[in-house]
Amino acid sequence: MNAIFFGVLTILSLFIFMNLGKIKASKKQMNRDDRINWDGKRRTNFQKNRARSKIIEGSAEEIDDSIQK
Amino acid sequence: MSKHSALNTFGRSGNPAFTRNFENTEAFSQSERMTLDGAVNKTAILLTLCFAGAFAGWNVPALAMPGLIIGTILAFVTIFRSPAKAGSTAPFYAAFQGMALGGITVFAEMQYPGIGIQAIGLTFGILASLLFCYKSGIIKPTENFRLMVFSATMGIAILYLVSFIMSFFGSGIGFIHSNGLFGIGFSVFVVGIASLNLVLDFDFIEDGAEKGLPQYMEWYGAFSLMVTLVWLYIEILRLLMKLRSR
Repeated sequence: MNAIFFGVLTILSLFIFMNLGKIKASKKQMNRDDRINWDGKRRTNFQKNRARSKIIEGSAEEIDDSIQK
Repeated sequence: MSKHSALNTFGRSGNPAFTRNFENTEAFSQSERMTLDGAVNKTAILLTLCFAGAFAGWNVPALAMPGLIIGTILAFVTIFRSPAKAGSTAPFYAAFQGMALGGITVFAEMQYPGIGIQAIGLTFGILASLLFCYKSGIIKPTENFRLMVFSATMGIAILYLVSFIMSFFGSGIGFIHSNGLFGIGFSVFVVGIASLNLVLDFDFIEDGAEKGLPQYMEWYGAFSLMVTLVWLYIEILRLLMKLRSR
């Protein structure tokens, strides 16, 4: 009985591994900001940083010293 | 050709970090990149070799010690010398570790009949349930998670190393091998940490497939999964032996 139960558990688990392993992880798992950075390079979240950025988008104007303040 | 001579000379960016990035994405064609399918298939190959080795070790238990020594050397070679050559070292690692596990299981079976199949069932049961938890997003590995698991794993490795060295002088750290409440608690902790290492392996494989790492990383991912499975099996076997000896 012991051997049958654990034998079936082994085969079932291997079957699950072979099938589930080939499926991509859920979006909940993949789209996270706090994922492990395996390649060791700094990961920058540009979308998140855009709101805090001090860069002002738009065309530059030339300052004219002759204009009185 | 770009009309800017600097781009023609130095490429898109002069920064070596960015240059390396561009090389990584362009150097490998789609068929030469790591995939989930490939990593799972290679794990299946390694598991088959491990079972074949275990069959040999089961029938000739004297193969256990050479299998353990050669397997351990091959593991260090793969990790520290040539991850790119994991395709040639990992199959031998799996076969030799299988011999060691077969021999160890025979000795455990002589003392406690039926313990081997229990340990195998629990090992693969943990593998499947943690894979489900990882894929569904129930367990989310983060940098802190990795740090915690890595620290605990290193702590256990140092404890085992100290115990191993002390055994040459006729002493040891008794509680980690005892079948008392503390010894069983320690084994449960080690099984837990070994199981959490599986989650890190799943994340490493998933991340590599997503980023399109070179194909040899399929072997390396499968190898790292095998190392964790072998460790988990031995720890479960130890835990079951402690429980059965009470």
